[in-house]
Amino acid sequence: MTRTTRTNRTAPARGRVRRLVPAAALALALGTGLASCGDEEPTGSTDSTSETTEQAGSVTIGDPWVRATVGAEDTSMSAAFMTIDNDGEQDVTLVGASTEVAAMVELHEMSMVDGAMAMQAMPDGLVVAAGRGKVLEPGGYHVMLMDLQGELAAGDEVELTLEFSDGSEQALTAPVKEFTEEEGHYHEPGTGEHDHS
Amino acid sequence: MSPAPRVSRRRLLGYVGSAGVGAAAGAGAVLAVGAEDAAPASSAPAPAAPGRTIEPWGAHQPGVAAPQAAVSELVALDLLPDVDREALGRLMRLWTGDIEALAAGRGAPGDPAPWLSQPASDLTITVGVGPGACRPGLFGAGPPGFGDVPPMRHDRLQERWSGGDLAVLVAGRDGTTVAHAVRRLVADAAPFARARWRQVGSWNPTDPTGRPQTGRNLFGQVDGSGNPQPGTPLFDATVWVREGRWAGGSSLVVRCIRMDLDTWDELTRDEQERSVGRTLADGAPLTGGPELHDLDLEARSQGRLVVPADAHARRAHPSLHGGRRMFRKGANYTREVETGQGVEVESGLVFLAFQADLADQFVPVQQALDESDQLNDWTTAIGSATFAVLPGFEQGSWLGEQLLT
Repeated sequence: MTRTTRTNRTAPARGRVRRLVPAAALALALGTGLASCGDEEPTGSTDSTSETTEQAGSVTIGDPWVRATVGAEDTSMSAAFMTIDNDGEQDVTLVGASTEVAAMVELHEMSMVDGAMAMQAMPDGLVVAAGRGKVLEPGGYHVMLMDLQGELAAGDEVELTLEFSDGSEQALTAPVKEFTEEEGHYHEPGTGEHDHS
Repeated sequence: MSPAPRVSRRRLLGYVGSAGVGAAAGAGAVLAVGAEDAAPASSAPAPAAPGRTIEPWGAHQPGVAAPQAAVSELVALDLLPDVDREALGRLMRLWTGDIEALAAGRGAPGDPAPWLSQPASDLTITVGVGPGACRPGLFGAGPPGFGDVPPMRHDRLQERWSGGDLAVLVAGRDGTTVAHAVRRLVADAAPFARARWRQVGSWNPTDPTGRPQTGRNLFGQVDGSGNPQPGTPLFDATVWVREGRWAGGSSLVVRCIRMDLDTWDELTRDEQERSVGRTLADGAPLTGGPELHDLDLEARSQGRLVVPADAHARRAHPSLHGGRRMFRKGANYTREVETGQGVEVESGLVFLAFQADLADQFVPVQQALDESDQLNDWTTAIGSATFAVLPGFEQGSWLGEQLLT
């Protein structure tokens, strides 16, 4: 099912998933300045605006990806995951995001409600302290993509723009990958539609 | 060679994941590094890391010149029919993200089992492109001299170990980490390509004290003594494509060589040594000197050539081929194969040869060996595949970008 669907899905330009990647966005998506390089000053475009104090300028995004909806139970929603490193001197707050593939985008977190994992919006945003990082991952913080404009198949790319509390933005491109979610992740707490045994 | 690995700023930051849901994907590996500012639980000094974390960036893919790893796994894939240049770009960007994460010891993005990734694993991932993908609309023409290896008289090639549009060579110090990396790369490629064959082998690249050694094949021969040494001008001239779209790349020949250990074992030690021209004890030339000394092809003993006319090391010697040579690596394999008579154990060598120009360097040497080489009595190529090795990529760039944009 999922697998055959996936392998048959390839190139044709589809809906609003954009696949052409601006170099700057790509640099971010591919983790400019990440990992074992040890450079404290990433060399890519991330820091090209380092003279400003914009929040987006001190943030490095790594390992971004979006969960595919092909084969998923609810294909109207998905989520984007990544690591966010704050190399700056000030805390930054991620307050939202936008993408052409989803009509509505919110920051969410999972937490325990009455002994079951439930998803909640984060109206105050996600704070990344100076010199620290945060992981957005399944079962934790994520950028919720709702009212999707089309299905998201493994192998697609999604362009996403992150918005910070000072109004600065950072664009990135995330690959779409298959991932089996826990049941009930995309239901409001208390709807009781799924058994979380 | 890459400088010694450094601990990144990112590693020192540490992550605040979300509450309650087990180890953070990726963060587990990060924490496992042992941040410098973390207080050790005991005062006992930690043992040295068992291997290196090798950065994936640079002018060349680092897996080519990296020391032989203990485990090498090679997967060839075939592109699905409707994959075009634009889709190849998406696959290469996807793999770039995977390679950067896996090399650092993190799970690949979306990795359902990130705990299988670990830093200091000597992990390298090298991507190559087969002749079928070196055409207009895909990667465009391959590097100069790139193509299939022409048929050799001694070949007994099997389709199941031959060909492929793409190859991923994953090398590392342990099979679990390598298998996991292969699994992620193949699974993430599923929208674009399907695995065609997969070969895995091992090598012992260090002596008992941990010092690098050339290593041996399953005949017991020290194998690779004549290799140009990475970091030398000879190595660079031998391996890297100098100019054009593929500058910084190379070409890779993969030959699956079956070795008849039973008949080999029937030879006397003298016969075994003379078949190659080197001693079994340490790989030194039969004409004297240490292992890395050159052979004296003129030397005679009692009127007889010390290195016989059809010894492997003579027939392949660069001096007989106008200086043409290659950079070889290998992985010893043992596997069970179905035959008409049931299941048999087959042993051999997954032979890897890197050279800038396949037609000019590899082919003439291989043809000379096909014409005459004592080792042909006990070795048979049962698989053959060639891949243009993509140039390296820098941080912020992606694998194959200069070929696909």
